[in-house]
Amino acid sequence: MAAQTVPPPAPAPIPDPVLPPRSEVGVTGWLHANLFSAWYNTVLTLVFGLIILLALGFGLNWVFNTAEWTVVVELGGRFIIGQYNTEAACPGQNCFWRPQVALLLVMALLGMAWGMSGNRVARVMALVSAGGTAALALLPYSMETMGLDVRLLLVANLPALALGWALARYTSLGTGARIAMLGVAVFLITLLLLRGLPGVPGLRPVSVIYWGGLMLNLVLAVGGITLSLPIGIALALGRRSSLPVVKVLCVTFIEVFRGVPLITLLFMSQVLVPLAFPENFPLNSLLRAGIVITLFSAAYMAENIRGGLQALHSGQEEAARALGLPGWETTLLISLPQAIRNVIPAIVGQFIGLFKDTSLVYIIGMLDIVEIGRVFVQGNAEYRANAKEVFVFVALVFWVFTYGMSYISQRIEEHLGVGRR
Amino acid sequence: MATVPRLLTYQDIPVWRHILIIQWTAQIVSGVVVVALVIWFFTNIGNAIQDRDIPYGFSFLSREYQTPIGEHFIPYESSDTFLYAFGVAITNTLIVAVAGVILATLLGIVIGVARLSGNWLVSKLATVYIEFFRNVPLLVQLLFWFFIILALPPVREGYVIGGMLYVNNGGISLPWPHVSGYAAALTWVALAVVAVVIGVALNKWLSYRETTTGKPSYPLIIGIAAPLLLGAIAWLVLSFATGDSPFFISTPEPQGRFGRIVGGFTARTGLLVMLLGLVIYTASFIAEIVRAGIQSVGRGQTEAARALGLSPMNTLRRVVFPQALRVIIPPLISQCLNLTKNSSLAGAVGYSDLTSVALTMTQTAPAVSIFMLIMGAYLAMSLTWSLIGNLYNRRLQFGGRR
Amino acid sequence: MSRKVLTLVVVLAVAMVALIACQEDNTAAMEALQRENATMESEMAAMEARMAEMESMTAEMMEGGRLETVKARGNLICAGNNSLAGFGAADAAGNVGGFDIDLCRAVAVAVLGDANALEIRPTTAAERGPTMQSGEVDIMSRNTTWTSSRNAQWGNFAPTMFYDGQGFMVPTSLGVNTLAELEGAKICVQQGTTTELNVQDFDNQNNMNLEFVISADNIATNAAYLAGNCDALTTDRSGLVSTRAELDNPADHVILPGTISEEPLGPVVPHGDEQWYDLVSAVMGILIYAEAYGITQSNVPTAVTGDSAVDRLFGLEGDYGQEDMGLSKTAAQDIIRAVGNYGEIYDRHLTPLGLAREGSRNALWSAAPCTDCPKGGQVYTAPLR
Repeated sequence: MAAQTVPPPAPAPIPDPVLPPRSEVGVTGWLHANLFSAWYNTVLTLVFGLIILLALGFGLNWVFNTAEWTVVVELGGRFIIGQYNTEAACPGQNCFWRPQVALLLVMALLGMAWGMSGNRVARVMALVSAGGTAALALLPYSMETMGLDVRLLLVANLPALALGWALARYTSLGTGARIAMLGVAVFLITLLLLRGLPGVPGLRPVSVIYWGGLMLNLVLAVGGITLSLPIGIALALGRRSSLPVVKVLCVTFIEVFRGVPLITLLFMSQVLVPLAFPENFPLNSLLRAGIVITLFSAAYMAENIRGGLQALHSGQEEAARALGLPGWETTLLISLPQAIRNVIPAIVGQFIGLFKDTSLVYIIGMLDIVEIGRVFVQGNAEYRANAKEVFVFVALVFWVFTYGMSYISQRIEEHLGVGRR
Repeated sequence: MATVPRLLTYQDIPVWRHILIIQWTAQIVSGVVVVALVIWFFTNIGNAIQDRDIPYGFSFLSREYQTPIGEHFIPYESSDTFLYAFGVAITNTLIVAVAGVILATLLGIVIGVARLSGNWLVSKLATVYIEFFRNVPLLVQLLFWFFIILALPPVREGYVIGGMLYVNNGGISLPWPHVSGYAAALTWVALAVVAVVIGVALNKWLSYRETTTGKPSYPLIIGIAAPLLLGAIAWLVLSFATGDSPFFISTPEPQGRFGRIVGGFTARTGLLVMLLGLVIYTASFIAEIVRAGIQSVGRGQTEAARALGLSPMNTLRRVVFPQALRVIIPPLISQCLNLTKNSSLAGAVGYSDLTSVALTMTQTAPAVSIFMLIMGAYLAMSLTWSLIGNLYNRRLQFGGRR
Repeated sequence: MSRKVLTLVVVLAVAMVALIACQEDNTAAMEALQRENATMESEMAAMEARMAEMESMTAEMMEGGRLETVKARGNLICAGNNSLAGFGAADAAGNVGGFDIDLCRAVAVAVLGDANALEIRPTTAAERGPTMQSGEVDIMSRNTTWTSSRNAQWGNFAPTMFYDGQGFMVPTSLGVNTLAELEGAKICVQQGTTTELNVQDFDNQNNMNLEFVISADNIATNAAYLAGNCDALTTDRSGLVSTRAELDNPADHVILPGTISEEPLGPVVPHGDEQWYDLVSAVMGILIYAEAYGITQSNVPTAVTGDSAVDRLFGLEGDYGQEDMGLSKTAAQDIIRAVGNYGEIYDRHLTPLGLAREGSRNALWSAAPCTDCPKGGQVYTAPLR
């Protein structure tokens, strides 16, 4: 209308942009926003900054000047495999190659996981593990203590990784299901290698009493983690079941195992359970410890999964039933996958808890990495002064594994898009 | 009654395929199998006990224990019975558990809030704390703290702060109030009850006044200060009336050639290490729970509160935290339970908790019976925690679904 | 496909675990027993009858079964210490050795002919009793004091192999010279030992007003003492000597004169197997008498020597009941050749610590068969004949 006759107004000159004050951008801006935004923040920053500086100064001084790390190097093998390669465990022959070959298989598996997924996390993990173990070959031991064979087998972790990667890339083995299957197979082969077979030359049985160090922690943790999840799922489903007998049994089991400290259970598994079986019944102490740790963890797992199931909207189940899915298929295909996806952090937290709990086997006389530190360091006059170094080292070893696990879980969560739907 | 057979043969489905029949058969079979296994297990243990002449039974409970207990908070003599010694051990566990839970919750809240702090340094520091301490086994941490405490100077060369506070590798000794006698103790208990009632009433009334009139009334501060003031006045009056003080503060003092510290209250090495380890470890989990709880409260709540002019502190305390508690409490209770159970590692650092004392008891008493007692005691403790959790949940649900 | 895979994995897992678990050869009776167990679960009604049946089978297996069990298993399970220098301690190479461990070795040689057919299960003081009762170990040689209640509750004690008594060690700087001066002291003591009970008695009887710092094992006990957490360390005198010898500056610590208890230390075997107890006792006797007869690792006789006692001991002529105990006729030859006699074992592990044997209670009573050549010690046991 009239507006058509009115000439369009001349574009106003663009004003000079008002730049944010210097204190809001760049380094100063960041500092202002994050460290000095208010008087109390300034105080906090200064106080904590001072504390950090002091702690760092003290810590670094201790790590580089005061601490003597030679004890860690000298006892390196003990921390990793305990007494496995001693004369008592493996008389008349060298058994070191057995855990090492098992390690090669694990490395190949890692390589396959990397080759299959091709993502950054898997690559970093695989390369760090293989590189780290291969680097152990360069440890400054004499050739008598650490022979060429041992070193070569350590270096072989790199080709093993590459082989696994290639297998996953260029053969049909590179699917999740197959790798999982191979994983179980590798775990069983590892157990077999470590335990040995009577009558087979070179595979003389090694008593589980001599399994020790980080190897023991890992064997218990891997076995426990693989088994506690399915048992936990079964218990959780049982607890939510409408069948009263099943429900009562599951609730009793869960509450008893959750209500008693693990070390009490471990101790009982060692001194009470053998009474229930005839002497020489094939249920050795490691197996008993493993079963107890697994059941203990499964009870917690059950509660985590139950939480996930409870949080699930009932519409999911109703829709599935309406579509005609039978009850158990509804549970397996509809409820469980969603419930588990929702509680991945809790499940991984429980896995981490289980791994940390493997340090409690000291109570039944097994020399895991912590107890190795205690017995060999504090119990030996020459190393007694270095106990702090050893515990810091052991704490770091645990931290690397547990932090790795929680890092992977976060990546999986991101991948599955938990919390974004 | 005729409905039952018809129900069972519904649409010509054979009886054994009826869902109820299948379910109940499965249940009965599984129930019988489990019960049979349990019976088999315990019968075998019973047989083995008889065959191998292993002592059993509970008659030992009234025997004299005759063994020292390193640390005890209620009086204990070696001539006391096993039953009493067991009670001493349970007290030790409860003390470390309750003190640990309180301290860990406080530290956990501070660190959880710090992790969400706008201050980059503070939040990163909290993250590092959480990621480190919750990923290292408690046993390793306890052993480490054990060494740190042992590295302090021994008692004769220890630090003395203000002539009152003794810090050395035997523990920390500090002044502690003691009640003079039995009659005085009763008076004080009665007074304490009155004081708490007054304090709670004041707190309720002042908060009501504050919320209705908007006048700042400081319900928390006054609620705590008033009973304390009352106590002080009562002490003065009672001392004046009776001529001597109904309770006195004993100060620690080194005595004898070994400089052993007598008087006051001494938190010995074992207790210190246990508290340090348990609190630092558990706080890292509680911090994550607190963070998740705070984050579960919608941003709009914070923004609205700030827009209404509440200070950041008040926003957190009056708006965000009460809502976050609903998410926080259930996992917090389970952490309390974990802390209680984790206190069973005390033996490794020389604190006489329930597990450690009970293991010593197996030297002179039947191990099988002792195990039953330990399991019973821990189950009772964990059920208590569950009960607290359930009660709280019920209260929340009533309030939440009006 | 995935379900098949799952089934396969589960079957594999079960098979493998079973394989790994039952490495030891099982007797036919064991398998029968297992089958029995499997069927039992489904038959609630027949439960009672079968229970009785099984009980008798279990009892049968246990009776005299320890020797066969050990032979079938191929190694001897010995509960030991891994942190007490001289008696049982692990070196940096991971090997556990010591006086107590060599006693186990001697039994391993006697039963299996191999000093290394031995599995040493580390056991803390507090878990000793329940461990013995569980029947999981064949023998415990872990500086364990022989007491009547332990004899009744834990197992049977073989001959005493080391005579000890409980003493106290204090830092020299404290200037304490007698036990009486310890009044009001803080004492480091190890949990679950007789020393814990003795020191309590000592405290009660003498009104010593002691305070105790109790630790779970001797590693923690020593750490507490060395840090100055307590004023005195109490344990068996041998333990004190061995701890002191390992210190950087032994001269800074003094072991007070006087003992407060008798501590006869020896191996223990589980209750309920007389033959096994006899065998272990005889092996200890072999070690002692070999020394008395002057037989060492280097001069073990393989042909008749003419000395009837020596010939009997080494199975060259006559016998001392080997067959009844389940020992081979020449077991003594193997034992002495593999581990040496009592004196050699002592010299190997305890002499280096400074536990002088000459003139102590742990010298031989006499150099048998010469009854007129007293050596003044208490080491003596049932003659082997």
